[in-house]
Amino acid sequence: MDRKKISKSDLGQWLDKIAEEYELIGPTEEDEVVQFRPVRSSSELSLEYANSLVPPKSLFFPPVEGLFSFQKRGEEIRLEQIKPLEKDRVVVGIRKCDVESLLLLDKVFCEDLVDASYKERRDRTALIGLACPTPPRSTCFCTSFGIDPLSPEGSDILLTDVGKDYLVDVATKKGEELVALADDLFSKLTEKQAKELQPPPVHMPEMDLSELREKLEALWEDDYWEKLSLPCLGCGICTYVCPTCHCFDIADVGSTSDGVRYRCWDSCMYKDFALMTSGVNPRPTKRERVRNRYFHKFSTFPSRYGTGYACVGCARCLVHCPGGVEITTVLEDILAKEGGSGG
Amino acid sequence: MADNIYLPSMATVKEVRPETPDTSTFVVTFDDPTLRESFTYRAGQFAEMSIFGVGECPIGIASSPTSKGFLEFCVRAVGTVTNAIHDLEVGDKVGVRGPLGNSWPIEEIEGKDLLFIGGGIGLPPLRSLIRYVLDNRDRYGAVEIVYGARSPQDLVYKDELREWDERPDVSFYVTVDVGDETWDGPVGFVPPFLKEINPSPENKVAFTCGPPIMIKLVVDALEEMGYADADIVTTLEMKMKCGVGKCGRCNIGDKYICRDGPVFSFEQLRKIPGALEV
Amino acid sequence: MQDKLQEVVRKLLAEGAVDYFIGYCQSSQPYRAVPCFVSDESEVGKLVWGPLCGQNLSKYVLRANELDGKVGILLKGCDTRAVVELIKQHQIERDKIVAIGVPCQGQVDHRKLGKILGVSLEQVTSVQDVGDEFLVTVGEETKKVRKEEVLLDKCFRCKHPSAFGYDVTLGDVVPFTVDADAGEYAAVEELEALPIEERRAFWRKQFERCIRCNACREACYACYCKECLFERKTPRWLAAPPLLSENEMYHLIRAVHLAGRCVDCGECERVCPMNIPLGSLYRKIQKDVAELFDYEAGMEMDTVPPLVNFELDDQDPFM
Repeated sequence: MDRKKISKSDLGQWLDKIAEEYELIGPTEEDEVVQFRPVRSSSELSLEYANSLVPPKSLFFPPVEGLFSFQKRGEEIRLEQIKPLEKDRVVVGIRKCDVESLLLLDKVFCEDLVDASYKERRDRTALIGLACPTPPRSTCFCTSFGIDPLSPEGSDILLTDVGKDYLVDVATKKGEELVALADDLFSKLTEKQAKELQPPPVHMPEMDLSELREKLEALWEDDYWEKLSLPCLGCGICTYVCPTCHCFDIADVGSTSDGVRYRCWDSCMYKDFALMTSGVNPRPTKRERVRNRYFHKFSTFPSRYGTGYACVGCARCLVHCPGGVEITTVLEDILAKEGGSGG
Repeated sequence: MADNIYLPSMATVKEVRPETPDTSTFVVTFDDPTLRESFTYRAGQFAEMSIFGVGECPIGIASSPTSKGFLEFCVRAVGTVTNAIHDLEVGDKVGVRGPLGNSWPIEEIEGKDLLFIGGGIGLPPLRSLIRYVLDNRDRYGAVEIVYGARSPQDLVYKDELREWDERPDVSFYVTVDVGDETWDGPVGFVPPFLKEINPSPENKVAFTCGPPIMIKLVVDALEEMGYADADIVTTLEMKMKCGVGKCGRCNIGDKYICRDGPVFSFEQLRKIPGALEV
Repeated sequence: MQDKLQEVVRKLLAEGAVDYFIGYCQSSQPYRAVPCFVSDESEVGKLVWGPLCGQNLSKYVLRANELDGKVGILLKGCDTRAVVELIKQHQIERDKIVAIGVPCQGQVDHRKLGKILGVSLEQVTSVQDVGDEFLVTVGEETKKVRKEEVLLDKCFRCKHPSAFGYDVTLGDVVPFTVDADAGEYAAVEELEALPIEERRAFWRKQFERCIRCNACREACYACYCKECLFERKTPRWLAAPPLLSENEMYHLIRAVHLAGRCVDCGECERVCPMNIPLGSLYRKIQKDVAELFDYEAGMEMDTVPPLVNFELDDQDPFM
């Protein structure tokens, strides 16, 4: 694989070149909240950041998205599809955990019946990842899921901060095209040079999760979920900041003669999420909903899609939970439970 | 853009047939003539009916795929969308998105004797299969239908019930929870009624659909009578939105009712934690 | 203080006086304490008390309604206002609660702490109250931080009502005073001084960021409705998608529903993941209620919240 470097002072120039041809999206800060937003110039970006609050899955599976519009014309009703994208896009500054989350969401949206707007967004968006040479936050635990923050897998280009420069790993043809927009700003590295610049593997507190699924599945009837439901407020923040959560609602907004059918984020933590009109609720109390969430991430998602766990260790849920529910503590508790194959 | 799996096809209401005080059958045909001809489905599948501006609702397709050119839905008015459906008149437009879900195990049951046990509005999903079987009568063995509703008013497909009763190649049994002056048939709940009839499990597959409590007691009764879980098949109801296994709402364990179901055998359900609590 | 607290709770549990106790324990993150539900004496050692316990635990008291027995709870002075209102609004009976009062000299807003220190919060390993200041350990260093720089906004308005009689107090629970030149409603008055178009633009910008996660509603003690207005389908007051029109209505309607009931606990702003300054919105409602009805929620046990009360001589100038 081609290894290059670009100086930090030149990076902006290259990104601005990209912004001329594509919609450039990256982390920006407003009112102390970091979000992935389209920018017109690289000067708007804040690449010195830990991670965005709302994960960049929002660029592919938006918080609110029109599915189609409808209009009554006499006796007829006309349906008009809504284009997901105008321009091709380049996302810069995405962390490996969030890239991994997209690979998991691809299983949901691009397999079986294909979700066309998600797929179009994925196909027409290049990813310039930003490696984490050290964990951005003390809460990070991505390596517990076998994720390597320094790996370019899943991105088109990976930038690794090595002081005055960024190491540039070009992983795909698309990445090559983007580098070619400002070829002169990049210097090729020999293997020896690249090796010298390469930061060591990232260390962070790591959990051995190999027995997690088995231990978890044995706890279906356990009263642990009752206890965990006590501090849980059922607010749904965890699902809104989680990069792998994908539950959504479909609602018509407007009138019967003129309106739009939207898709918007929803949360399995809400009481009425699975409530049927008849009044039957398969997950009637917090206990069932909290249990369902953990089972989804660590048992049923892997089982259904043949993947690893549906968590990337970003710990956004831990940071933002108002009730202080901490995913790392829950996982430790599950692993510590007796039963199954020895403690 | 490629096919939008959330985009319904436009259809027109051709007929509205009241069945009970709160339930009606809606017969719809697709506006696009090619679609009208080419649309296929399997008995047991469902579709999402759209009232634009109000919302969508999953309804079992009650007609059999052997009837071409139209779809029948039996809808009870309980919520926002279903009440809006009940406001429809002949000539009004609806959206139809489908067919969705899996289907009754049509091939596996060939040559077997079939037992259908329905309660109230649980009959329409069964009816799709019943009609299919009756339209392909020589592929299947004996057909027994056991049906019950709260009262004579609440029986759906009243005319068809008479038809089934009169057919020599169908054994038909009907009961109501509470009778009235017009009723001179059996009175009582479906599960004990079923036990009285005592249909043999030999070479038989049982299909049941109805209120959760009825299903529970029916399955208990069938097991008492010697039916194996693999030979008891039901169709589940869950809150649905996307209908295509993506919105995360209708799951039980790792199964999405809208994709892996709604038809399941009890052998399958017993393997899924939490399935039988629903 | 922490030891005293643990002793008291141990006794309560041993005597079976409560089914469980609601307090704070240290999170895996050193810069905050999180809610803790202790049902066994062996767990009592987890309980902490200090300047990282800003969260209002009051809403958890409603869980006692599901129990035959009582719950114990640790309440700061400001937190008691919410419990007073819950009792007045008939959501819980006083005798379902065993309340422990504790002297509080200000709570840390960890966002402000991070800003002042210019470091990421994870490097904070401890925060100690030493009178006028906090002693903050960051990595190897210990820094002194003046309280006024890092306190939660509500601490500047500490009132400590005497309405709520604690069952046990671990010391004198008196109001905390800090020299601050900000007036009672400073942030609100700043906004009120803006021309209306600017005010509208300000709030619209904030509401555009709202993702309708509903955390503000779930964290609010006063949002205890079994079925929230916004969950109703018939009639459907709000559509689910987080469009500006819906978000605006959500916040404005919720604010009006809180009129006469908001106790200024600041949970809504604390939990908002988008840093929307909900505090200013709800302070405005409090200000209006104070001016119109001379009423502050949670301060007295025997008054009726004004919007559920009527007197025959009430003014109705709109008629």
